[in-house]
Parts: sequence; C-alpha cells; structure tokens
Amino acid sequence: MAIRVNPRFIDELDRYGAEDVQLCYQCGDCSTVCPHADDIYKFPRKSMRRLQMGLEEKIETTLEPWLCYYCGQCSEQCPREADPGETMMSLRRWLISRYDFTGIAKHFFKSGTTEVLAILTVSILTGSFLLYHGFSFGNINIYDGEGAFLPSSFIHRLDLTLGLVLVLFLAVNASRMWYFTMIKGMKIPVPWLLYIREFYELPWHFFTQKRYSDCQANDDQKMYMPWMIHLGLMLGYVTMLVLVMVFIEELQSGPAIQWSVHIFGYLATVGLLTGTVYFIRNRINKSYIQYKKSHSTDWVFVSLLFLIVITGILQHIFHRSGIYDWANISYVIHLMFVIPWLLRMPFSKWSHLIYRPLAMYFTGIQRAAYLRHELITSRLSVTIK
Amino acid sequence: MRTGVFFCQAENSSDELNIDAIAKYSANLPEVETVQVMGIKPKLEIKTLCDRIKSDKLDRVVIAGDIPGYYKPFFTKAMRLSGGNPDEIRLASFQEHGAKGEYAVDRAKAIVACATMGVPFGLAAIPGGNPVNHATLVIGGGIAGIQSALEIANAGKLVYLIEQSGTIGGHMAMFDKTFPTLDCAACILTPKMVDVGQHEHIRLLTKSKIISVSGKPGSYRVKIKQQARRVDVKSCVACGLCADICPERVESEFDAGISKRKAIYIPFPQAVPNAYLIDEEHCRYVLTDGEKCGHCVRKCPKDCIHLDEQDSIIDIEVGNIILATGYELLDVSKIAQYGYGKYPNVLTSLEFERLTNASGSTGGRIVTKSNRLNKRTNIEEWFFSPEGIPPRSVALIHCVGSRNKNYNLYCSRVCCMYSLKFAHLIKEKIPNVIVYEFYIDMRAFGKGFEEFAERIKQEGTFIIRGHSASVSMNNGRMIVRGEDIFNDRLVEFNVDMVVLAVGLVPSPGTEELSRILGISRDRDGWFSELDYNGSPTETDKGGIYVAGMCQAPKDIPDTVAQASAVAAGVLRSLTSGKGIGHMSSLSLSEIESRAKTIHAN
Repeated sequence: MAIRVNPRFIDELDRYGAEDVQLCYQCGDCSTVCPHADDIYKFPRKSMRRLQMGLEEKIETTLEPWLCYYCGQCSEQCPREADPGETMMSLRRWLISRYDFTGIAKHFFKSGTTEVLAILTVSILTGSFLLYHGFSFGNINIYDGEGAFLPSSFIHRLDLTLGLVLVLFLAVNASRMWYFTMIKGMKIPVPWLLYIREFYELPWHFFTQKRYSDCQANDDQKMYMPWMIHLGLMLGYVTMLVLVMVFIEELQSGPAIQWSVHIFGYLATVGLLTGTVYFIRNRINKSYIQYKKSHSTDWVFVSLLFLIVITGILQHIFHRSGIYDWANISYVIHLMFVIPWLLRMPFSKWSHLIYRPLAMYFTGIQRAAYLRHELITSRLSVTIK
Repeated sequence: MRTGVFFCQAENSSDELNIDAIAKYSANLPEVETVQVMGIKPKLEIKTLCDRIKSDKLDRVVIAGDIPGYYKPFFTKAMRLSGGNPDEIRLASFQEHGAKGEYAVDRAKAIVACATMGVPFGLAAIPGGNPVNHATLVIGGGIAGIQSALEIANAGKLVYLIEQSGTIGGHMAMFDKTFPTLDCAACILTPKMVDVGQHEHIRLLTKSKIISVSGKPGSYRVKIKQQARRVDVKSCVACGLCADICPERVESEFDAGISKRKAIYIPFPQAVPNAYLIDEEHCRYVLTDGEKCGHCVRKCPKDCIHLDEQDSIIDIEVGNIILATGYELLDVSKIAQYGYGKYPNVLTSLEFERLTNASGSTGGRIVTKSNRLNKRTNIEEWFFSPEGIPPRSVALIHCVGSRNKNYNLYCSRVCCMYSLKFAHLIKEKIPNVIVYEFYIDMRAFGKGFEEFAERIKQEGTFIIRGHSASVSMNNGRMIVRGEDIFNDRLVEFNVDMVVLAVGLVPSPGTEELSRILGISRDRDGWFSELDYNGSPTETDKGGIYVAGMCQAPKDIPDTVAQASAVAAGVLRSLTSGKGIGHMSSLSLSEIESRAKTIHAN
C-alpha cells in the first residue's frame, strides 16, 4: 500500500517544539535506554525516523508518543543532541491538535500569542459578564444566599453547562483518537471482547499513572519524584473538578468550614500548589533535561493553573474571614482564569488527562490483539518476521 | 596599470579577517585606482561592474575574498563588455593561500599586494636559498616515525628519532593482526624497528622529550631532555635476571594494563633498543634515594645497571622536524553506561588487542577474567589467566565516544574495521562462540574493507545495525541491550565479554608540543595541516611536517603513506637547497619587496 509522504511535516513539527529531529542519525541509543520501549512499541528512534521521512499518516495512527512520560534519559545520552525526548513531547502536542476536530488547538500550539490573546479575550468576556450579572442581580457585600453577588446556584448552572460542552468536545476528540489509532492504525482485526477485557486499564492508569513511575533513571531511587508530584497534581485537579461540578453549593456555603467537603478541597489544593510550584521552579531553573526546553503552551499551562490556585485560595480565605466584598472580587478574578482554562482544555496540553489513560487502554487492547493474532497465525504455520 | 580591487566575501568568511583594514591597505598600493568592498555574498550586476571598469578606466581587476574564483565569471564578462583584457583579472584567494590564524590579516594583505602586481603569490612568498641543515628530527617512534626515519635515512641523510617511552614501535607493536589482510602486525613492524636500531644514519633517543625549539625553517636548534634509562643499552643483553628479582609490580603499559611488569623491565621482547630500563616512578631504589633495594644491581652479570644515572640534556641542530606523536584512547570510564571499570569483562579495544595477541599474557587465548583474593589488601582482583574460561558470547560495540556530541564529534575511522577484525579473531579462536556487533554506520571505506566486512558477515557474526547504549549485570552475566533496526526489534543479549571500540584522541603531549613548536591544532586537538587537500603533510610553519595519527585518525596504510610523503617533502628541501618551508616564514614587508623585484624584472 502506498504511503503518502509529507515533506513539510518536519518543518511543521518545528513549531510544536521538535527542532533537532534532522540531526538524528539512527543509532538507536534512545530506544535502548527508554524504560518504556518494548517489542511492539519501539520509540523514540522509530518516531524520529518517521518524522524525518515525513510519514504523517504513520505518526497520526500511532500511540507511541503517549507511552513516553519524558524522563529525558534518551535526550541526555543522545550522541547527536537531537533531543528525542522533546520530539516525543512535540509529537504529543501535534497529536492533540490532530485529534482536535475544530482545528483550534493547532493555532494555539503554533503561536503562543494567539493562545494568550484567546485566553485574554475569554477572560475579559467572562469578567464583564460576571460583573454585569453580579451588579444587576446582587450585592457585592453578600457572598452567598439571597441577593448574593455570585450565587452558588448560578455558578453551579454555569459549571454544568461548561462541563457539558467540555464532555462533548472531549468525547468527539477521543473518538477521533480511537478512529485514528484503533481503526486506521490497526492492520489486524480487533475483537470487541478485548475492549471489555482490557477496560480495567483505563481507571487504573488514570488514577495511578503507574507507567510514569517506571521512568526513574536508576534503581536506587525509591520513588520517582516527578511521578509523585504529577500524580498529586492530577488527583488534586480531578478532586477539585468534581467538587466544583457537583458540590459547589456546599463548597461556597457559610463562613464556617464544612469539613466533610472542605477537607477534600484542602487536600486537592496541596496537590495542586505543590505541583504547580514544582513544575514552575523546574522550568525556570531548567534543572532536569525534560524542563530545558519549555514550549509556550507549557508556560501558559503552569502559570494559568498557578494563578487559579492562588486566586482560589485568596477567595477562600476572604470568604472564611467574612470579608465578603474582597471575597467576591477575588472570586470574579478566579473565575476569569477558570473559565478560559476549562474552555481551553480540549485544545491544550491538559487534554492528555484523557488521552493518556485512553492510550494505555488502547495499547492494552492492541497488545492483546497482536498476541492473539500471532497465536492464530502460528497455528496456521505462517512464519512472521 | 590601473588596477581596481574588489572584495567579495563568501558567507562563511572568518571573523579573523578585518576586510576594512585590508581594503585600506590595498588602496595605498601603487597602481591601485579604486577599492571597493562588495560585502558578504554580493549579488553582482554585470552592468554596474562594466560602468565601474569604464569610468575608472581599469586595466586590471583584482578580486579578493575567501573564494574569489566564484565571482570571476561576472568580472570576466564585465571586462570583456567594457573592452578590457579578461586575462588581467587576478584572484587574491585568502583561503587558498592560508590567510588564517595569528597572521591572517598580514597574509591577506600580502596576497592582495601580490595580486595587484600580477605576481603569483607562491613565487613571491616562498623563500628560497636558505642554507638547510641536512639533519632531520622525527618526534615519535611509532610506525609513522619509523617509516619517515627509514625513508630519509635510506636516502643517506641523518635522522634523529626521539621517542618518549623506552622502545620504539608505538601502538602498532601492540596489535595482533592488521585489517583487512589479517597480516601479523609484528611481522611488518619488527623488521623496520630493527632497521631503525641498526641504521648508521639514525640516532635513536628513547625516553626523550623536546624542551625547546628555536631557529627558523632550515635550521632549528632543538633542546632534548633524555631521561636516564639507568641501564647501559650497549652492554645489556636482556637476560632478564634483574626483572626476576625486582620486588615492584606495575601495570604494563605495553599490555594496555592487563598484565603486570616489574619496575625494571623491557616493554616487550622485540623492543628496540633491546635493553631493560628502569621505571623511576616505581623503582624502590630511586624513590628512596638509594636507601632501599638495589637488588637488580647486585644480580646483573654484566654490571650494566646504573641506578644513579642522571637525566641529560642534548642539543641538536636540524633542518626539518617531523611530528609523529600518535594518539591514545579516550578515557572510556567517563562514559558510565558501558560499565567500563565497573564490570571486569568490559574491555577497551587496546586491551582486547593485547589479550588476543600471541605475545600477550594469555598466550593469545581469548578468555574472560578470573578473580582471586589479594591476601595483603583483602580486595578481590580480576586478572587474565591463561587457564581462564573462554567467553561463550561477546558483544562488540562500535562508536564508543566517537561521533558523539558529548565526547568526540569526529569519526575515529579505524574502529569499524578493527571491530570486524576482532569478530573474526574471536570466531577463529573459540569454537561455537556467538559474536554480536552493534554498529551505527559501517565505515568500510578502504581498499578491501567492504569485502572484509562481507566476509565477517558470512562467518556468522551477528551484525546488528543499531547502537547499544547500555551494559548491565544480571545474575553474574552481562546484558547488552540494543535496537536491531533492520529487523525492527529491541534486543537483549547475555554476553560474557564486551569490547568497546573506543574513540581516539591526540596523545597527551600534543598540546605541549604544539606550544613549543608554535603549531596550531584543530578543534579536536589534532595538529593542523597547512591545507587539507593540497599539502596534508605540512604545517603552517615551514620545515615542520605531520605524519600519522597526530594529524587525524587514520589506519596503518594511510599512516605509512603519509609518513613516506613527509619523507619526500624533507628530501626535496634537502636536495633543492631552497624552497624550505613556505609562505609563513616571511613577513609582509619581505613578501612585498620580493614581489616588487619579481614585478620589476
């Protein structure tokens, strides 16, 4: 079957951060040191080769970039300084933009200015809408209940609407991912039963990110620090998302602390704060090889999240100490960051929250399918090479 | 003749050249009417050039720049259209005539000056008629130095051959076989070494170093420090009784550290000069200023050991100097992923070369290291014993530290072929052994090399296209991981021995020597030749030549060829009596005045 070659693919990927792919001379050192490369998914060298050859279709249908957690060992010992780790990262960015059916993600990844402008626009729109709504229907000195500036029931409705939009976007994108990787990318039939049998992979990888912990460079380390931090950040984020989507009214009620709900909020805040501070500090100090090159989207990602966390904490403190006007102001600012953040999710790095566990799930199915296929074909005494 | 000078720089013009200064200088030259700096990579328009030539009534045009020949067609056309003589277009090529380094600007000025006068630069700049001292100094006694020395000495001229260690022979003496012919290296080298030792025109100075060099091309005064050998070369018969009684055991340099020698030793039985010598860094008598030991003196039947001998300084005068200082291996223990120094059976190429050599400590048997407990230090030590167990499988890893931005950027040029040779030797000596070769690109570029590579493949060696970047240990066996790119799979092999094809770096004294002689070195530390294509044996200093590895990595045939070519250059200078060296030996004003005389005639 003929494969289309896109000679401009490598230049396009340059905008996503893969700048040095052309330097690679295919020694295979990166695949050798990679703790995740195995017999079926051999990367990063193969991805580098495909990029060099412009095999856009092959990369579009592969799950390999999602199996990389960017520990940076490959880039560290690359004899050509071709930076395979960053290439895998860029491929993930490209894949996100490829899965995104609207085509917005592409512009965000290609130009940091576009992204910042888009965020600012949404932010200002949100701010003006909230202020207009607050001043027309409420009092800035009342935080919750009757006549509140931003009543939690109103926010709840807003959240649920947003959530619905998000779910719609992500569902379409995820199904595109499924189509690319499991239909276009698989040359052998995949029995439906495998989808059920391997389903446990999805929650397992979502909540533990087990594979990330395999990244550590040497066995002396008990825990792999980036994994712990990343897991904390992700769990904090998910907890917060659930709290905001479902328990917002309990979360916002009364100045007294409702421990049954707020304890989760505090735990989530700790995870989020540690995570964002850790990643921002590493990106500034460039302390590990994986933080040496920061794409504009990486910066937007961590700094926006950090601002959300800080404004959220402020709002909480003002509210609990009874300074309602300031609580309302910080709440508006907080939401001015949150709404663009949520709307941006399907088009940004954050969507790997969905794609990565999905990729693990799909690779589990693929693996099982290959295994099954090989069993069947070997019974027919056909040698596979 | 009304002359116009046009400066056209190529894009990659060096920063050393201050074009404005050169332009100012050339404006003051006689007959120069107009000077124009066209900038970097100029887009020339023939019409404007034509107008310029017409308006200034130019008879001659000089194009100056890195690669002025590139712009010649434009000027030729313009000259022809404006009715001038296209033969009067002169090129002042900075690159061709070596305007680089310390004196780049002066050289460039001289090049432009010669071009404006229409005098070929070479004619004006190469001095002649210097009286040339007919003695030659060869620094380094490896195959390159030996070859050069023999060529010159056989032509009847005196050669001083100085060598840092106790014997000549260099690295080639350590090798077992040469690729691709699988000739015995010693069989080629040792007759030459004996020739050197016995030659009436060769003065061999071992354990010697250059301290200072003065003078100019044709007559260099060289101060050499000869370390005391402490054994009389003439009367020593190499009986070995002294070594038997010597209590000190030191790692043998000749055996690449895989065996031990004594503090009084002969590097190898065929050494030239064939006499023992004292290693003063380890000799107990020397270290304690004669208070302890001295057993060897009492044991020697010929009374030829003089432990109190002092170093001596030798002054010589020579006409030409040949550099043949060779190379050493990159320190591979700093590349942690291969586990060299951590796992006993990870060897460098030189260690393996000594292991497989019939004159090595195992008598040519390829075995894995055995271990024993040193009772004095209570440390387990690993060593090669002739009774050791042969490896069942061996991995050979190419490009260790070569072609790697973290270590050596360059290809060491010999590793592919010697690794293939190793594969052959292992297959030949051990039955049923499995050999894996991990390579990135097979650089079998020489005569018979590709055929050799094919032959090795057919012998059943697993040649894996893909580098290995990790050697680890599991249950007492080493595991080599790699990617087999052609078969599209990740591989993991259990092996008993790993041989690393370690990259080559200039020998440790190269930097010091380049400072003493004033020779420039390239980015990688090798001596720079004058011109890579045109004069690969000369340096930018007249009367000093480079041969062999010290210029760049090369194999034995290339080394020998270059060494012979160097000898030809030396002999040319000796017989012609003029033209010693080249342009750099004259200053700007000298070249100018010489060009004027040639121009006037």
